[in-house]
Amino acid sequence: MNSRERVLAHLEGRPVDRLPLMPITMMFACAQIGARYRDYCCDYRVLAEGQIQTAGSFGFDYVNTMSDPAREAADCGARVEYFDSQPVALVEDDALLADKKRLATLKIPDPLGGGRMHNGIKAVALLKERVGREKIVEGWVEGPIAEGADLRGINTLMTDFFDDPAFVRDLFDFVVELELRFAREQVRAGADVIGVGDAAASLVGPQVYAEFVWPAEKRLVAGIQEMGAKVRLHICGNTRRILNGMGRLGCEIVDLDSLAPLAEARREMGPNQVLLGNLNPVTVLRNGTPEQVTGAVAQCHQDAGSRFIVGAGCEVPRDTPPENLRALCAYAHQHKP
Amino acid sequence: MTDLKKLYEAVVNGDAKAAHAITQQALAEGVDPLVLVNQHMIPAMDEVGRRFEASEYFVPELLIAARAMKSALDLIRPLLVARGDKPVGRVAIGTVKGDLHDIGKNLVASLLEGGGFEVIDLGVNVPPEKFIETVREKQANIVAMSALLTTTMPAMKTTIDALKQAGVRNQVKVLVGGAPITEKYAEEIGADGYSENAVGAVALAKKVVAA
Ligand code: B1M
Repeated sequence: MNSRERVLAHLEGRPVDRLPLMPITMMFACAQIGARYRDYCCDYRVLAEGQIQTAGSFGFDYVNTMSDPAREAADCGARVEYFDSQPVALVEDDALLADKKRLATLKIPDPLGGGRMHNGIKAVALLKERVGREKIVEGWVEGPIAEGADLRGINTLMTDFFDDPAFVRDLFDFVVELELRFAREQVRAGADVIGVGDAAASLVGPQVYAEFVWPAEKRLVAGIQEMGAKVRLHICGNTRRILNGMGRLGCEIVDLDSLAPLAEARREMGPNQVLLGNLNPVTVLRNGTPEQVTGAVAQCHQDAGSRFIVGAGCEVPRDTPPENLRALCAYAHQHKP
Repeated sequence: MTDLKKLYEAVVNGDAKAAHAITQQALAEGVDPLVLVNQHMIPAMDEVGRRFEASEYFVPELLIAARAMKSALDLIRPLLVARGDKPVGRVAIGTVKGDLHDIGKNLVASLLEGGGFEVIDLGVNVPPEKFIETVREKQANIVAMSALLTTTMPAMKTTIDALKQAGVRNQVKVLVGGAPITEKYAEEIGADGYSENAVGAVALAKKVVAA
């Protein structure tokens, strides 16, 4: 069974030869091919090369197109800043929707209009062409609160929940539509899985999550699934208070950060949810020893049970010792679910 | 007489309008502005911090509480200046070079203001030179740095070294914080203090200026 078959079978609950392996690499993958991170973000050929090389040499079961949170916002006209060795970033002081009234006239950009989203779609197509028969190709979109924060400014959005709930709902409607269009083109280009990154969701409590974020996430997830793709939800940070809601989204994969214990997620989400994660990317994966990594991933496996995919809690840090990442990978290569 | 417990509640509940109105009324009645700050607003922010640690409050609740406190401070600060009260200290605060995370830093800045400090907020991605310039030109006596990335933590040490190089290290106390920072790291890089959270940062700042 090849990587692609393994992941698909596992998601469908069919038997597999070993645990699937899907850690997030961005800056690490870029460093593997000695490229500038600026180019990884801006040139789909560099991204694809980094992903293919890294997935190949470490034996990942997938490749993925995530690079920075700013693709959609940049195409909407938000001011972004480019750095040589860091992800593209939004300029929050000059947020596109600093004036809320602008939302009424904001148009959803064409994902195929030659902008940063188009670049991401080309990355999907190139990955599909080069390794798509062998490996899972995962595209990427920002989730509603993450993208809402990118457009409005994260500090301001946090207070909008109290000051202007109607605006937040309109903003999230806009964002869900935007992300669905972006996702659709990625699925057309060959993505098997769409990752939904909704980092800022870990900043809000269960009430704000249930009232504003969950309904928008649900529409996004359901919309992507209607296109025939599977969904991997990833929320950076401490999600302990919203695990139950995350489980009820019906995502094929819930990818947890290290601050949310897998055992707790298993209790909240039931026995069938596929969980991915979640060893601490910094203290264990980057700063630990290969033995510590093996111990930590074994514990994750035990806590998650058989519906489990191996990965770190978040992005594999750029300067992670390769032998540590190899220890993570070896666990997946050597263990059955 | 205004019920000052309402000021406490307004801050805890993040009701900026109420906090402003109650403060205005209390000041008109001749209540000492420092009583409002020390006996009502600071305890309120302590309670907000406690609720955050206990996962009863989250970032939105923290931010609206800080905003409510600020709306009261806007009325109080000019009065303190007019009567010649000196700020407890002058803080140059910023997120270090290469790092764009600012939610935590903004909270620390707001609470320091609430605690009677004059705060010069240098924003995010702040290079060492900018800290040095602020110490020299604005006579800041505390440099407070925030970092959220493992990759940008070393910029704290670079900044401390640059303060030394510039010959101003002895004029300031250097405080550090942010999720990946530890007490041990703060010691290693030669900082004067570390705080895990924003409420603790105010107590720490008060301690180091008193020392
Ligand atoms: C005396 O001085 C003091 C004293 C106390 C101090 C202090 C200073 N500063 C803080 N404190 C203390 O007081 C505060 C209140 O109690 C506390 O402040 P905190 O800042 O810790 O807490 C805040 C109140 C709330 N926490 C936060 O605001 C951080 C939340 C998370 C989700 C987060 C966010 C929001 C963002 N992010 Co970023 N982000 C994550 C975070 C994951 C998480 N949930 O923790 C983290 C920090 N991010 C990370 C990463 C990797 C990144 N982020 C990035 C970008 C972003 C956004 C821009 C999208 C956004 C920031 C927006 C903004 N304006 O701040 C990128 C880097 C950009 C850059 N150059 O900075 C990027 C590299 C991602 C990428 N590939 O694009 C991870 C860091 C891993 C590591 N250890 O290195 C991360 C832990 C997520 C993860 N699990 O991987 C205390 O630490």
